[in-house]
Amino acid sequence: MQNAKDTFYVTLQSRLAALNPARTIVVRGVVRPGTLVEENELPSAWVPVNAFRLQWTGLHVNSGGPLPMVSMECSIQYATDGTSGNGGMDRGRLLAAMDAELVSALSAEPHTVPKMNYSAAGDGVAPAAMGTNVFWADPVFGAATAAEDRLARTTTVQVYAYQEAGEL
Amino acid sequence: MSTTTTGAGVVASVAPVTRRVRAYFAPVNRSTGVPTLFDAAQLGRFELHAPPAPWIDLGWASRFVRKCGTKVDALRAGSPAMTVGQVRTEVEATVSLEFEIWGKLQVALASGSQQTNLLTTAAGTTPNGSGGLATAPVPLLTGTGPASTATSLNVGATAAAGFSIGSLVAVDVDYTGQLGYIGASVSSAYVLSASAVGGDVNYVRRVTLNVGVVAAISAGVLQLASALPAGAPTTGMQVSHMIGFCDREGASFFQEWSALFVMPGEQGDRVLVHYPRLQAMQGSTEVEDALAAPLQRVRLAGAFRALPVKDTNDGETVLCFRSYLPAVLRGI
Repeated sequence: MQNAKDTFYVTLQSRLAALNPARTIVVRGVVRPGTLVEENELPSAWVPVNAFRLQWTGLHVNSGGPLPMVSMECSIQYATDGTSGNGGMDRGRLLAAMDAELVSALSAEPHTVPKMNYSAAGDGVAPAAMGTNVFWADPVFGAATAAEDRLARTTTVQVYAYQEAGEL
Repeated sequence: MSTTTTGAGVVASVAPVTRRVRAYFAPVNRSTGVPTLFDAAQLGRFELHAPPAPWIDLGWASRFVRKCGTKVDALRAGSPAMTVGQVRTEVEATVSLEFEIWGKLQVALASGSQQTNLLTTAAGTTPNGSGGLATAPVPLLTGTGPASTATSLNVGATAAAGFSIGSLVAVDVDYTGQLGYIGASVSSAYVLSASAVGGDVNYVRRVTLNVGVVAAISAGVLQLASALPAGAPTTGMQVSHMIGFCDREGASFFQEWSALFVMPGEQGDRVLVHYPRLQAMQGSTEVEDALAAPLQRVRLAGAFRALPVKDTNDGETVLCFRSYLPAVLRGI
């Protein structure tokens, strides 16, 4: 399952970065594309804005076939305060821009990518392609919420993968 | 056949998972009854956005339902009668679907019968349900300027002034008394007699599926947004201005087409369903998808009955072909 989660995250991150290279975030002093998985970062009460934060919130396994089919719910949270130069009056526009980027990234074809194993990947070591694909359904957009100057939204998407023989 | 991992790198087979169905059209030669056959063995892996000629992409379809109407009865013998075999007493297959877009072809196929182009009418024309007397067609120039192609129509600067970007055009030959099936590339109507169509010189253009949208105009040439289904215009073809389409309930013509439906699997596998001959089996019907009140999205609903063809591999008479192309390195 971790391979499917990693594959979906890397796919979404690269698609979002291609759509808007200027959307970046500083994490532990390093500038990165503006997409992160919360469970992969240090626990913190700090909520980054103008970035996409992924949480894996649901899991269902159908063992009826020769390969167990795993369905995972990915919750994608994002928020914006607008820009100070505009007194925050552009926060609706910035949230709409993030909505549009997410729609483009998730609806772009293909909706399926080869599952990759990143466990041994690193400097000079490419991830290993596995035998099945990861695929996902259309995103479901939650209502925008306003808290003081901040606009936020949570979007969920069901991500599917097959658990391959010997895969943990 | 094993459904478990069968060797190094080979993954167990799983049921296809697909999100939707893509439909493709190809013409049937109505005069000879010869359909366009799709060979999945040769072309099954084609790029969905670029089907091989002469197949035309109809876009995604929803609520795609195949129904088998074939009846299999028991063959009994003896006393008391016991089933000793089986026999097919009827063979039938139908397909229903909803098109996601209202293109000319989609509307024509879903209309169930002949569809007409609403040609721009001449001034003072007597009103008619499927369009009144049309304005004179515009000839294509030959020998002056570039030759017309499937995507460009050389009408000359004077005539081009009568068109604008976004104009809809129908391109086909004049009606000069032809009988039987008419329409460039695709049979779009059947003419019983010249008197039935009033000898209308525009009649072929009135029913043709060879239509396009003007995307640009330059030096007397109309550039079309996409290629005409019939390809480069042939000698004698002219251009008529049109504003839309019209179909009727109760006309006598049956649309017939060669159909291909592709279900792309999320694992790289693919299901292809090919009906060499499909005829419309219902009149024009729409299905409404309720959006937030009072809005409704109106989809074209089509229902079709399969007609038989002979499989030359063994001479069997069949209605459709379902092909499955497994993903790479899957057990079978």
